[in-house]
Amino acid sequence: MKKCNIRKSDMALNGITYLASLLCELILLSVFVFTFSKGSSLINWDLLKNDYWSKNYIVESSADHNTASQYEKPDDLSHEAYFSRRWGIALVDHVSHEKEKQVLIEYIDPKSPFASVVDGSAGQNKGKELNLQVGMRLEKIDFEDQNGTAGITGTILSENAETVVKNLDQTAETLTSAYVKTAGGGIRGSIIATGYLILVSLLIALPIGIAAAIYLNEYATKNRVNQLIRTGIEMLTGVPSIIYGLMGVTVLFPITKAFGATTTNVLLGGITMSIILLPTIIRATEEALLVVPQNLRDASLALGANQSQTIFKIILPCAVPGILSGVLLSIGRVIGESAALIYTMGTFISDAPTLLTQGTSMAVHIWSIMSGEQPNFELASAISIILLIFVFLLNIGVKWISRRLQKEWH
Amino acid sequence: MKKLLVAAMALLLVGCGVNDGKETGSKDFEGKIQIYSRDASSGTREAFEKGNDFEGKLTKKAVTVDSNGDMATKVGTDKYGIGYVSLSTDFEANKVTPLAYDGVKPSQDTVLDNTYKLQRPFEFVTRAKGDFGSDAKEQLVAAFLDYMQNSTEGMLVVEKNGGIVDKSKGKPWAELKKNHPIVDQDNSAITIQTAGSTSVEKTLKGALEAFSPMAGNYKFAMNQSGSSDGYKRVLGAEKDGPNKADIGFASRAFEGEENTANAMMSGQYCIDAVVAIISNQNTAVTSLNAKQIKQIFTGEIKNWKDVK
Repeated sequence: MKKCNIRKSDMALNGITYLASLLCELILLSVFVFTFSKGSSLINWDLLKNDYWSKNYIVESSADHNTASQYEKPDDLSHEAYFSRRWGIALVDHVSHEKEKQVLIEYIDPKSPFASVVDGSAGQNKGKELNLQVGMRLEKIDFEDQNGTAGITGTILSENAETVVKNLDQTAETLTSAYVKTAGGGIRGSIIATGYLILVSLLIALPIGIAAAIYLNEYATKNRVNQLIRTGIEMLTGVPSIIYGLMGVTVLFPITKAFGATTTNVLLGGITMSIILLPTIIRATEEALLVVPQNLRDASLALGANQSQTIFKIILPCAVPGILSGVLLSIGRVIGESAALIYTMGTFISDAPTLLTQGTSMAVHIWSIMSGEQPNFELASAISIILLIFVFLLNIGVKWISRRLQKEWH
Repeated sequence: MKKLLVAAMALLLVGCGVNDGKETGSKDFEGKIQIYSRDASSGTREAFEKGNDFEGKLTKKAVTVDSNGDMATKVGTDKYGIGYVSLSTDFEANKVTPLAYDGVKPSQDTVLDNTYKLQRPFEFVTRAKGDFGSDAKEQLVAAFLDYMQNSTEGMLVVEKNGGIVDKSKGKPWAELKKNHPIVDQDNSAITIQTAGSTSVEKTLKGALEAFSPMAGNYKFAMNQSGSSDGYKRVLGAEKDGPNKADIGFASRAFEGEENTANAMMSGQYCIDAVVAIISNQNTAVTSLNAKQIKQIFTGEIKNWKDVK
């Protein structure tokens, strides 16, 4: 009777462990299913290499080529597009991921006035030819009618493609200018900023972290002070990252200001991240040092090398794979961090981030597009997919390295 | 005891009588009210809750939706639903009825003449004159604000992005442009920094983007974090800190210690209005007041038939 009871409780305990691990797998699976179902439509090279912000152009048609004539509608034009017979341009309605109604250019006749426009903005490119491309957003067209009265048409008046084409065909006689935008929505800037961030934080955290780990593991004797240092470092792991962010923007900002920064910047984010990474790197290095067999140390010392020579020429090279796995973990941490970076790098998505200007890491990019009045779930999920893939690869890397490490010493 | 009872009955009767007189809609519509709310980061929600004095008291039974369009769609398909959107929403297409507030129907006109009260101003304030770091930037900021606040073109952009403007006061940009020779220069090296309210983001972004090619392709960086930072980062405590900005915004009037007298420019560039909506199949009410909205959204009134 008693035996039976024990067996039952055993089974129950076993069951709980099965269920718990099953649940974990299910959660992971649902994360993947959710992000992929929402974001996979956006995953392509354009996402990675395009700017996030639209480029805005005011274009003017060249003076000698600015009148309406007759154009043939191409046969393969999609049914949703509206073709202007007098101006040779086809427009189509589109709803963006932010639920914004847009009018896109679908086709331009090679002889149309729209095919030979020049940049109208003040600056170096003024007067230079500019190619309007299919897929660009048409915001506004300024024109003059028969009597020379100015008129405008476009999405800026909440008009759709049909109305714009109608206005062009029925009233416009000469074009004054047009306001067009590129599609935007890419994450190239955030990828670059993330790269900078990884580079800066590792450049600072690696030497300091490794040196500290060597001290703790090799030189430090067991006394109270060293114990305190060790506890301190362990406590660093537990500090919420938002606190590091606050510290970064108040304490560390003067450092970047000395380099010429005027706003929060990528460098500041990198320095702050390096502090967050320190415990990770120290821990990984220490673990790597611990598994180096004592025999090696003894042999080196017996051959007449002193302690420093032993550590830096024998022990450290042996610990490299372990340190590397620490580096990979750190990269994962940088990629995933957002709270500390919101304070130190700003939340404005920059297309050309430099060390001393603002930028967003990919995680903050997600935060930024989701915090507006019209969140963009699709783009956020697409970035999440990229992050997930990256983290997945990093994990495989860590596994591979630690397996090699084990083979070497056991 | 009997006296008390009679008194109570009398009170009840009188109460009913008064209530009957105040009835705003059809009596026969009943059903459990389903409340829809925006997520906590939404500026529309902030305006709606503040305007009706139930900040943080929203009933836990409310369904959270994550965008203005989503709200309109959800309420449109829920006969017993109530929610709120900004005035720029297409009510008919979403099959929703915009509710009057205190008996005033929401429209461009009632918002502009301030009879529709569920509204808030979008205001801006700049750094002090001579404090922009360069003359060119100072002139450019002045040009931009003139464009956004006073030109017909700028108003159109702001309106397109959900702001309510009085276009009759707009002047053509071609005319205003004469005061701003800076826009004919190459300004691609200048970055205009903005701070403050997140609610202004859409209108501001639209205007900044549209104006950039008209003014030498300047660059801009928007770090919108909340109305309280608008003044602080251009004239207040953080004006020389890492988060300093050229133009600060607030989705309310600058008040108290926020003294805009030192600014190069300050003012209001548009109005935002929030409208309570119900499904167009709902005939219970056509107008609500602040108290009723508070009662509904805090869960005090649970059934449409009790809305009086």
